[in-house]
Amino acid sequence: MVLSTFSSFSQTTGTTYKKRVLESTEVDILTSYYEQDGDNAAVTGGIGTEKLTDFATSFVVSIPLNEDDVFSIDATISAYSSASSSNLNPFDSGASSGGDDDDEDEDENEDKSNGKLNSNAVASPTGSPWIESSGASKSDVWVSGTIGYSHSSESRNTIVGANISFATEYDYSSFGVGANFAQLFNDKNTEVGISMNAYFDTWHPEYPTEIHSYNEVNGDLNDGFFEEVDILDQNGNVIDKNSNYVWSPFNTTLIQDESRNTYSASVSFSQILNKKIQFSVFLDLVQQKGWLANPMQRVYFGDRDNFYIGNGESIPIYNSKDNKDVFQLADDIERLPDTRFKTPVGARLNYYINEIVVLRTYYRYYTDDWGVSSHTANIELPIKIADKFTLYPSYRYYTQTAADYFAPFETHSSTEEFYTSDYDLSAFNSNQYGIGITYTDIFTKAHIWLFGLKSVDFRYDYYQRNTGLTAGIASAGVKFIMK
Amino acid sequence: MMKEKSTHHKTLILRIMIKKISFLILIASFTSCATVRDYEKVYLNDSDMVLSDKKSNKFITSFQVYREAAAGANGGKSGGGCGCN
Repeated sequence: MVLSTFSSFSQTTGTTYKKRVLESTEVDILTSYYEQDGDNAAVTGGIGTEKLTDFATSFVVSIPLNEDDVFSIDATISAYSSASSSNLNPFDSGASSGGDDDDEDEDENEDKSNGKLNSNAVASPTGSPWIESSGASKSDVWVSGTIGYSHSSESRNTIVGANISFATEYDYSSFGVGANFAQLFNDKNTEVGISMNAYFDTWHPEYPTEIHSYNEVNGDLNDGFFEEVDILDQNGNVIDKNSNYVWSPFNTTLIQDESRNTYSASVSFSQILNKKIQFSVFLDLVQQKGWLANPMQRVYFGDRDNFYIGNGESIPIYNSKDNKDVFQLADDIERLPDTRFKTPVGARLNYYINEIVVLRTYYRYYTDDWGVSSHTANIELPIKIADKFTLYPSYRYYTQTAADYFAPFETHSSTEEFYTSDYDLSAFNSNQYGIGITYTDIFTKAHIWLFGLKSVDFRYDYYQRNTGLTAGIASAGVKFIMK
Repeated sequence: MMKEKSTHHKTLILRIMIKKISFLILIASFTSCATVRDYEKVYLNDSDMVLSDKKSNKFITSFQVYREAAAGANGGKSGGGCGCN
């Protein structure tokens, strides 16, 4: 009904013909399944399982309001399950769970009057960075929506647009606004574009269980989660919680400012070089401000004593996947500067080699004031294998230097101001291999209700990082045109 | 020490930006290339010649933004909207 309401706007009463910017309503349905695994989970301080699966679906509808104006809606939902995130509370990974945690659902079963465990609960919790926990943080749903509007001038040489967006998940929400302007010159051989975007994001922070619980009971290790829970030293001996030799987080100050804002300005330049080659260059300037660290991610210092919960006999094999039942208490959550300035510059060059093959290339250089610089190179070679079918083999190489604040598990020093063991900020390179196939019917002969099927895409990409992380993503897309 | 490092980074970024803008101006000089008329754009109008990512690559770009420190300069988003890098 919404679509038909909008489509009624597209009726023209004028007598002169003008080619519409968008001939009729288009609907894209996109979906993907992503799976990854690795051994450097950031939630558990740079070691531990990174197993993650994500299923996402997006509906993108573009509606011509008249000859010049297009209204668009993008709605996306993404549901993930993450072993690493589950270890925000690692202490309910098996039958031997116990202790209080930050799992609200499970908290309902506890004695609410004093926040302590029911006396019938099992006394000794265990966990491991290598085992998925069953806590609430194991899965989450990310929902986002974007509404856009664009207007093209009579000559089609000027395009202005605006958009608003929102996104939300359990511990994060975002509101964004943006505007864009493009001017075409030189018989539409040259295009210059400018866009500005601002995202006003907010953390709804979730912290590692032991840090959250420590703050909750004001450091009393005989109360709350820690009550009746043995804390072990490096040798596996139970510590006296009333002595001076006890575990405590290095910094008990948690998020003060929950905002995380991003402001970006982008300039683009596109040029037709000849009948078969065109290229574009993009430059973005991005300023981020606010809490830029992830409060879920633990850090362990090399210069502080280690304390554990679980089976003391497994402490010597803590870093190994054989560790199934002991978990090291965090020294702190990651701490990062509250500003970051990013400067990516990228270029595309496409070459129509012949009626069968097109060469699509992309390169990006990126630098920021956290010390990260990176190069990205991508090549794709669409090959028309039949009248309606095109194959899309592709290869992407990516390399980056480490952020100044990155160090692996147990190698940070507590004298540092900023620290993270998130391997997404480490030095690494990656290779990505992809293959896709597209069916296109420009006459949209196949129909579903009012919509003609324009194209169907399938694609699979395999991603391999030299840190050991591997990932695969299968994606599919269907495009319909309203008849 | 951190302040000095930050200033050094900013100077470095400024220099890189100047180089990039110079590069853009150089690229702009290509506008003197022979103009391709609309009726000669049959190859350029091929759907695979579009100077942007395919819509169906949306989720591929999304996972890269999460797993890598770099983002942006591809005609799309360059940050914000998620708790990613």
